[in-house]
Amino acid sequence: MTRPLLEVKDLTKEYRGIPAIQNVSLTFEAGRVHSILGENGAGKSTLTKMIAGAVHPTRGEILLDGEPIGFSSPGDALRSGIAMVFQETSLVPSLTVAQNLFLGDEKIFNRLRGLYISAQQLLQSLNFPVDPGALVSTLGSAQRQMVEIARAVRKNARMIIFDEPTATLTPEEKQHFFDLLDRLKERGVAIIFISHALEEALAVSDTITVLRDGEHVETDIATNFDRAKIIRDMVGRDLSSQLYDQEGKRRARPYGEKILSVQNLSMGRMVHNTSFSVYAGQITGVFGLIGSGRTESFKVVSGVVKRNFFHGGIINLLGKAIRYRTPSPAVKDGIAYVTEDRKVEGIFETMSIAESIDIGAMAASKHRSWFVNRRKMNENAAHWSKTLSVRSIDNDARVLELSGGNQQKIVIAKALVQNPRIIIFDEPTRGVDVGAIAEIHEVIKDLANQGLAVVVISSYLPEILSISDRILVARQGRVVEEFSAEEADEEKIMYAAVH
Amino acid sequence: MRSFLHNLNQERIVFLLFLAIFVAFSVILPGFLNANNLVLLLQGISVLGILGVGLCVVVIGRGIDLSMVATMALSVAWALQLNIDGMNLYLALAIGLGGAVLVGLANGALIAYAEIPPLFATLASGACVYGFGRLALIHSDLVYVTPAVGDLTLLGQGRFLSIPMPVIVFAVIAVIVGLVLRYTKFGRFTYAVGDNYATARVSGVPVRHVILGQYVLTSTVAFVAGITQAMAVSSMNTRISDTLLIYEVILVVVLGGVGLSGGRGGVRNVIVGTLLIGTFLNGMTILDVQYTTQNAIKALILLIAIIADTLVNPRDEQTAQHGDI
Repeated sequence: MTRPLLEVKDLTKEYRGIPAIQNVSLTFEAGRVHSILGENGAGKSTLTKMIAGAVHPTRGEILLDGEPIGFSSPGDALRSGIAMVFQETSLVPSLTVAQNLFLGDEKIFNRLRGLYISAQQLLQSLNFPVDPGALVSTLGSAQRQMVEIARAVRKNARMIIFDEPTATLTPEEKQHFFDLLDRLKERGVAIIFISHALEEALAVSDTITVLRDGEHVETDIATNFDRAKIIRDMVGRDLSSQLYDQEGKRRARPYGEKILSVQNLSMGRMVHNTSFSVYAGQITGVFGLIGSGRTESFKVVSGVVKRNFFHGGIINLLGKAIRYRTPSPAVKDGIAYVTEDRKVEGIFETMSIAESIDIGAMAASKHRSWFVNRRKMNENAAHWSKTLSVRSIDNDARVLELSGGNQQKIVIAKALVQNPRIIIFDEPTRGVDVGAIAEIHEVIKDLANQGLAVVVISSYLPEILSISDRILVARQGRVVEEFSAEEADEEKIMYAAVH
Repeated sequence: MRSFLHNLNQERIVFLLFLAIFVAFSVILPGFLNANNLVLLLQGISVLGILGVGLCVVVIGRGIDLSMVATMALSVAWALQLNIDGMNLYLALAIGLGGAVLVGLANGALIAYAEIPPLFATLASGACVYGFGRLALIHSDLVYVTPAVGDLTLLGQGRFLSIPMPVIVFAVIAVIVGLVLRYTKFGRFTYAVGDNYATARVSGVPVRHVILGQYVLTSTVAFVAGITQAMAVSSMNTRISDTLLIYEVILVVVLGGVGLSGGRGGVRNVIVGTLLIGTFLNGMTILDVQYTTQNAIKALILLIAIIADTLVNPRDEQTAQHGDI
């Protein structure tokens, strides 16, 4: 066996005495893809951030080529050849691609032309279709990621850590990404791959490590794993049958009352003349690739987008024409929107669970009461924490301290407490751990059973297929196809979405 | 006490600092720890405190109101001028208050509807209020309080249970604003908007109305501060808009721990900040320290408070991640 490129020994990281990672020992070899899997809070990010120098270990050591290292910053790690491609990209949006690529290595006087030529050469060698002169702010998430990867390659990284690299990519872009992984492997780069998409991890990895609650569960070569085994390792129980099964196919819920009908809606460049309806008592799945306007259409309905982009069309809520300029009246009329980006527009950083939910309750209340009702607030918090099985110390805990899945539950509770007639879930399980995905899906199904009109927007096909009674497919700004759960399958939907 | 020390934050640090300075001055400064001087101390900071309490509302909502002092000076000067020109006192006061409310509405509209950053909107509106107000509404920079105001002067010069009235006004305003922030929907929405505007908006909070309300409340409190100030010194000098008073108000707000990033802190923080600055100014005055030196030391205190807060409450790596994804 060759000597490993990087080795961690008994690595432990504690936050306020609570271990996030406990006595983890792993080896990483050059030219191999090593996936690290686990639920949210299992410690994947903490572990990789320690390797990349962004977080300092409490105990244990990291050996590079057999030598102990102690990075004081990510820059340090980068100089030793360890690069991390972050979930939230670390590029400067107002600079060009080329400037970003050479960020930190500028000479006092830069010849821009030279910079662009070297950037062009670098991008071409990697086969990335990115214009070095383009501003990063104008790029899509896939292209941004390419720039990040190119930057890591330029630094002659010997190890690249990818944290959820495929979450925002379209299927085609994903394929490009996997091809790239192969090329990086050929160059002898050690790759650490963190993902929630288990199929991807199984497909690309040489080695898989599963973490649970900060502890090392298992490491083995990838061929010894399958989906069910990984999930069992991750959650410590057998969940695979609950997740993404296709039981919906057998018992699609019937159409209820027509709650929402949208005709010829247009908005800016994102929504073109789209028409669709949503019915009570069933789950309407909405699938589309990035740029299909799936999210934007529903943001217009719920008043979340600004009115100046609103160009026309008719929206009827229970037969009454509506046109919201802000979310506030939409919420009062019973339209709740659960955001796809909870960090930006889903949570309050300084507030407790109870306070956050109470903001939702007060915003929807039609009572002309001016005052806060503490008793009601605590009742609401207790009720929703229980209904959604939020795991926290108590309801005075800050939302920010919860794991991704529990944060998402609070965002959902904040919408449900408003007693909506139609609830729109935008990527309800993005960045949510496997255990919580099943719970959130249960909640969504219950809502439909109770007679609510439920919309689930998702770019993850298995999710759409397993949960929807009816599937709308959006493409280039309009809903182009509608399937019943019985007739839908991955191929049909994907065909409608891309052609 | 134990949990007090274990949960050190900026508010508590500043409070301890206040205690330390207070004790130190009591020991080393003859004439500091005496009833008269302490009353003087409180009286000296009450207008600053009222302004601070008013400003903290918009700061919690992630805004700022640089026009506050101009609003205070001009609305009160206008009311006094109208009274001098023969208008009924209470009508004149109502008109002055109406002027202040209008400035608040204008600020709020610029920020909430025109989406101009609060810093620029209120910087400009403050200059407008001073400029146009001085040109059109009053005849000279200094407007005197005439005997016609009668018993209203008690608000500035009277005492109740031997406590000066300005201190009582400060206390009343602090209690009212504190209750509004804590126990009303508007108050909770103010925290929500300051914490995360986008989340508040998507959750259905009428964000623009809340912002409008914040600036109106701040302007109203500014008017009250102005009346108290005018009655205490028997005049309103509109030149006060040109002084550094607004920065001193921001200082007491931020010093106590109301974060400029919004959503954090409350009236208590302002009171603690005001007490520290008041004690300090009083001691310096007894020591006969120059005004410029006082300013330098004030700046140093702010810096120390912020540094201490960062040391005691380091930015937690775990919470900085916003939850592991």
